[in-house]
Amino acid sequence: MLINAVVIVLREVLEASLIMSLFLAYSQHVTVSRLSLLFGIVLGGLFAWAYAVHISTVSNWFDGVGQEVINAGLQLAIYFVLLGFITQALIGVSRPIERITLISLMVLGIVLASIREGSEIVLFITGFSSAPDLLQPVLIGSAIGAGIGISVGVCIYYLLVTMSFKNSVRVGYVLTLLIAAAMISQVVQQLIQADWIVSEYPLWDTSNWINERSITGQLLYALIGYEATPTPIQVTAYFSAIAMIVFVSFYQISRKTK
Amino acid sequence: MNTFLLRVIILFSLSILAFNVKAAPVFELTIQQHLFYPAELVIPADTKVKLIIKNQDDTAEEFESYELNREKVIPGQSSGVIFIGPLPAGSYPFFGEFFPKTAQGKIIVK
Repeated sequence: MLINAVVIVLREVLEASLIMSLFLAYSQHVTVSRLSLLFGIVLGGLFAWAYAVHISTVSNWFDGVGQEVINAGLQLAIYFVLLGFITQALIGVSRPIERITLISLMVLGIVLASIREGSEIVLFITGFSSAPDLLQPVLIGSAIGAGIGISVGVCIYYLLVTMSFKNSVRVGYVLTLLIAAAMISQVVQQLIQADWIVSEYPLWDTSNWINERSITGQLLYALIGYEATPTPIQVTAYFSAIAMIVFVSFYQISRKTK
Repeated sequence: MNTFLLRVIILFSLSILAFNVKAAPVFELTIQQHLFYPAELVIPADTKVKLIIKNQDDTAEEFESYELNREKVIPGQSSGVIFIGPLPAGSYPFFGEFFPKTAQGKIIVK
């Protein structure tokens, strides 16, 4: 039970932790108050708890696929927050209004990511309140999993802030881009599961090469949204999501240099 | 954000939504004492199927299958809907992520 709890919580924490580390690293460069980001975690945690408590009700929405629709909505929103974050970071944060926009986007992103990932952790742990003998190993395992997930985020944070500003912007940009695209891939996945998007045969199968169950597979899933058997629409959406951010970035850069 | 960007965003959001309105055959799975019943479920090949998962335990369970690309939390004492397929014939293992030692099963597509 303990190892299982480590893996489950780690998987959930990892994604939120990656987004958090990117935002924190950026805050360091532009000296934005990090207290507001902490506020985002607390707020997101509260919403996650409320979502988990009402999960049975939510599940019944939209003919039993409410969970998929809400999760897809959260992840779609995270994508647009990341798009907005990149756009605002490219425009710059010299004026107060720009700083406020950027901080709001970061806080919103953290709230959304905390709801999405946190609610699953709350559901997992609270499920064991009816099995007290299992509760202790589950709590210990969850703490270890959360610890590892946060540590990975801390590592990435230090990696980014110890680089030169130019390099950290480059690496941060690519990481944000990949995480954002992974969100869109998951949105499509959720909507296929809900039957809101037509299901198709997978475009390819790389499970013999990198299995989704393996540690590499899990890490790649968190970082780039790796799927061993993606459907054509998922792959299309993934690359369109990347294309849109790159397009918007070039648009902003060209506008700035004019 | 200017209107041009807004237009791009709206078009993009709409492009990933396409609705599908064919009625799918319904199959049921039950979770009891962290076990799936039936542990092997046979479904037709090349057909979209509506899977209703009833969790009769007090604990939550997460239906998960890497082969099917599906995952969904089913809270204790409630049920959830998952659409799977159309799939080519074969065997697709699934498991309950919260109790993976016991909650194991397979979808056999024939």
